[in-house]
Amino acid sequence: MNNKPKVGVYVCHCGINIAKTVDVNAVTEFASHLPNVKVARNYSYMCSDPGQLLIREDIKNEGLNRVVVASCSPRMHELTFRKTLAEAGLNPYYLEMANIREQCSWVHEDRERATGKAKKLVAAAVSKVRLLEPLQEKEVEVEPATLIIGGGIAGIQAALDIANAGFKVYLVEKTPSIGGRMSQLDKTLPTLDCSACILTPKMVDVASHPNIELFTYSQVEDVSGFVGNFQVKVRRKARYVDMDKCTGCGACAQECRLSGRIPSEFDVGMGKRGAIYLPFPQAVPAKYTIDAQRCLFLTRGKCGKSPKCIDACAAGAINFEQKDEMIEFKVGAIIVATGFDVFDASRKPEYGYNDYVNVITSLELERLVSASGPTGGNVVIGTGEEAFVPKEIAFIKCVGSRDKSVGNEYCSRVCCMYTAKLAHLVEEKIPGANVRVYYMDVRAFGKGFEEFYDRVRREGIRYIRGNPSEIFKRGDKLVIKVENTLTSTPMEDEVDLVVLAVGLEPRKDAREIIDLLRLSQSADRFFLEAHPKLAPVDTATDGVFLAGCAQGPKDIPDTVAQAKGAASSALVLLSSGRVKVQAQISFINEATCRGCGFCVEICPYGAIELVTVNRMGHQVSVARVNEALCKGCGACAAGCLSGSSQQKSFMDRQILPQIAVLGVMK
Amino acid sequence: MKEQFEPNVVAFLCNWCSYAGADLAGTSRIQYPSNLNVIRVMCSGRVNPLFVINALQQGADGVLISGCHPGDCHYMEGNFYARRRFTLMKELLEYVGVDSRRFNMSWVSASEGSKWKDVVQGVVEKAKEAGPFEQFRRNKINW
Amino acid sequence: MVDLEKLKNVARETVSRDDVKYLIGWRQGTYGFRVSPHFVKEPDEAEKLIFSPLCTNNLATYLVLTERLPLLRGEQPDSRKVALMVKGCDSRAVVQQLIEQGINRESVFIIGCPCEGVIDLKKVEEKFSNQPGPVQARWSNGKIVFHLPDGDKEVPKGEVLAAKCLSCRYPNPVITDLMLWEEVQTRGSDEYEDVKELEAKSPQERWLFWEDKFSSCIRCYSCRNVCPMCYCEDCVLDRLNPAWVFRSNNISENTAFQLARAFHLAGRCIECGECERVCPVGIPLTKLNRKLAKEVKEKYEYIPGLDPESKPLQSSYRPDDKEDFIL
Repeated sequence: MNNKPKVGVYVCHCGINIAKTVDVNAVTEFASHLPNVKVARNYSYMCSDPGQLLIREDIKNEGLNRVVVASCSPRMHELTFRKTLAEAGLNPYYLEMANIREQCSWVHEDRERATGKAKKLVAAAVSKVRLLEPLQEKEVEVEPATLIIGGGIAGIQAALDIANAGFKVYLVEKTPSIGGRMSQLDKTLPTLDCSACILTPKMVDVASHPNIELFTYSQVEDVSGFVGNFQVKVRRKARYVDMDKCTGCGACAQECRLSGRIPSEFDVGMGKRGAIYLPFPQAVPAKYTIDAQRCLFLTRGKCGKSPKCIDACAAGAINFEQKDEMIEFKVGAIIVATGFDVFDASRKPEYGYNDYVNVITSLELERLVSASGPTGGNVVIGTGEEAFVPKEIAFIKCVGSRDKSVGNEYCSRVCCMYTAKLAHLVEEKIPGANVRVYYMDVRAFGKGFEEFYDRVRREGIRYIRGNPSEIFKRGDKLVIKVENTLTSTPMEDEVDLVVLAVGLEPRKDAREIIDLLRLSQSADRFFLEAHPKLAPVDTATDGVFLAGCAQGPKDIPDTVAQAKGAASSALVLLSSGRVKVQAQISFINEATCRGCGFCVEICPYGAIELVTVNRMGHQVSVARVNEALCKGCGACAAGCLSGSSQQKSFMDRQILPQIAVLGVMK
Repeated sequence: MKEQFEPNVVAFLCNWCSYAGADLAGTSRIQYPSNLNVIRVMCSGRVNPLFVINALQQGADGVLISGCHPGDCHYMEGNFYARRRFTLMKELLEYVGVDSRRFNMSWVSASEGSKWKDVVQGVVEKAKEAGPFEQFRRNKINW
Repeated sequence: MVDLEKLKNVARETVSRDDVKYLIGWRQGTYGFRVSPHFVKEPDEAEKLIFSPLCTNNLATYLVLTERLPLLRGEQPDSRKVALMVKGCDSRAVVQQLIEQGINRESVFIIGCPCEGVIDLKKVEEKFSNQPGPVQARWSNGKIVFHLPDGDKEVPKGEVLAAKCLSCRYPNPVITDLMLWEEVQTRGSDEYEDVKELEAKSPQERWLFWEDKFSSCIRCYSCRNVCPMCYCEDCVLDRLNPAWVFRSNNISENTAFQLARAFHLAGRCIECGECERVCPVGIPLTKLNRKLAKEVKEKYEYIPGLDPESKPLQSSYRPDDKEDFIL
């Protein structure tokens, strides 16, 4: 086929949007004399059906093989006209647009100048379109499985949705049980239904679902590949308990020599566990785990005559020989639901969290009020003879949130309401308790939230506007120094218990996930979504989605909603079974590549690797682009010294003529 | 004579921020000089530093590279590479005696239509002050 | 102290090894103060090797310019090592080649020659013109002794050393497999005075300076060919499509060529000065390259050719890189 360029130029009036300031007839006349231009026309609305028909007819009748549309921004209608070309049987990438509306007619009033500029832009587009090459939009198959990192409520919900749709899910959780932060909560707001009661059934569903493969006490070690075809490596840490044999009877934990001597993570240190333990009674899987850092036998090689857990276990499940296990599998999509860390209250030393036993965090109080908690649901502070039930109780909000001094400018979104809930619970549990809340603002924005806040205030909980500056001890009491900013009165408040309503922070190990999946962080250090409004669960890495607090603080309803959103985004990929990859990507001329690896270092997506090829009998190293990973930024092309790396449709030899036209034309 | 000189500026804009910002200026009908013509690339990281030399050779009186603000790159890192490359290119051009007003770089986001106007005005004004570029412009007979 | 006997013995031993293809060193040239690269393939060829203030050539170029002739089917490429004699500056070229994966560390055996500075041929020939026969030279107590036909002449270093040697920061090879003699003291610090001097002038003056130099460029591409960092299979500045520079010889194309060449060396140039040495029309190319070296050092605290593990400058970034000129 004779592929000599035959260009059609179509100048759009856009009603009067363009025609008012640009002399479209003059531009058309000018275009018709440009090299290789066969047809030049103008029309009132090129994007309309008749306008597009004009192009299709010319492609058929005049044998056009390149098209320039001079109209609005390519960001507006490039896809429209690409389709037009495709419908006429022409490769859609034989299109170039000249933006004579947003960047010409709308920004210049002088008709002569605007027309001159339009001519230039059209000439530049023609010079480039002649050199464009046809591109293929490749598709790759999608592995019908999803990896979900994190077994909190977000991960659980997303796993159930995807599994129920009939696709395989690999759910990886770092701790011995799924359930996450929600399992630590007593009641959920604003309805005050018990957290465990609504969460546990879902956890059991996950464990028993035929489509869900659950890896607890496991970590994702490596992710390679690209959307539709991720290769995942998971390390299943040794539990030293045979999962198949363990019946969860708990005899081992009772017998453990360290029983009741190790602070329990689940109870945030308020309760104790042994070296072999179940994090909490409803844990899923209900299998025991040996803490290798604490276990006497594993740390010292000796535990009495023989480890008591072995003797106690009737099922013979204890196995000190167990090793970490590496598991590999392929998935098409990944959901990151790694959750959050609570703010470390000791970073606000003025509140004395490290100094006073009766300054506690909200999560600690959450465990105290929980019926399954270390105190059986009684708010008792301290241990042994010093234990007491507080009567004067103060909550301090925004600890570690909205606070530039600790680097957290954002609002943690949940503290206002959980404080209201905890205040309510405390008042309910301690007859005659006197509860007040120190706050900066109250943000009760969710469904039923304002009503709940109102109810709590009517129950007698006092809200005092002020940000305490200091807490110190006076006798048996704690003194809160604060200014009531509504009345401008400095005050000192003597209380028995201070509860710090700590905010939510990105997880300390977030960096590992970023490196694993090439995610970005927003200014608040949570994971960055692809678009704050229109793509809130997507990330810049195709096929990787966000759910829950990993993306930013949110409450349970929002988390579940986002998890369902992430699940649906993953399902779109999985159920279509195929994914299109970017066509305007980079490629390497292997004959001239010198294998220096600059592009490999530059590529933000790890899409380029050095491979060894045979060049006339010699093994030489050259770069190669993984077409499915490349997003088409072209940074490699600009960094390549030999010009071997080029971006399709933006090649050096396609851009230089544009420069020439724009530079030379007056 | 110099008052009538209309400079010719070639600009390379990234598709996601600066080109979108320039589009926004259009949608908002913000008026600016017509002396600047845009070449769209996907990322400021795509702009080969040799394009600048080439543009000056081929008749541009000024060159502008514009991308996303640092940290906002659609491709995460492209503008960081561009920043290093063009910092060095600017130094090199100045060192051989090219007027520093001829080469400019800017960060314009998709929401900064009015900043785009300021940038264009500034860049065109500077190129106007610097006058026609003659130092190593290619003779017309050659192109 | 230079120990020629040791040098020759090491060379003999090295080329006798089974895993060494050949050794690249220096030998006296055929006339005047010239020195040639010497490719030692057999032990007895080592006799001609020298190391003297005349050994200006950066032999690292030959590591990457080795022609790889097509092999017959079934024929195995010669994977033996190349042994290379390096001065301090030459060794930085080797390091930079390692950073850029132009060579493998295993494919080269580096013999280090701590160096007290080499001559600037132009300065020497001005002093002692018309030397039809080869003239040898040696270092002696901070001076250079030339063995001229009419007797030895002692010259203070400052009068004949190359400019790069007067401010040399790396006289001792930074990477070696074997160091031939004890290290010498670092002579100078480098404050880029030559660059600063030109920077202080007005843009017009700077352009007049370079316009004069660039217009004398004959585009012989010697500067590129001799450069140990310029080893693309197919140089962009040679290409016709896209034609970054046209072939005509005029100020526009010459300037574009020289700017592109210098820019391609930004963050890579190890300042061995070979480009300037071979330039037949005397363009002060190091002045151009060193401008970028200075900026790279000041702005990015990066010195090329020192750490084989470092990332190439332009393939890396720091989020807080300076950007004071950006609008």
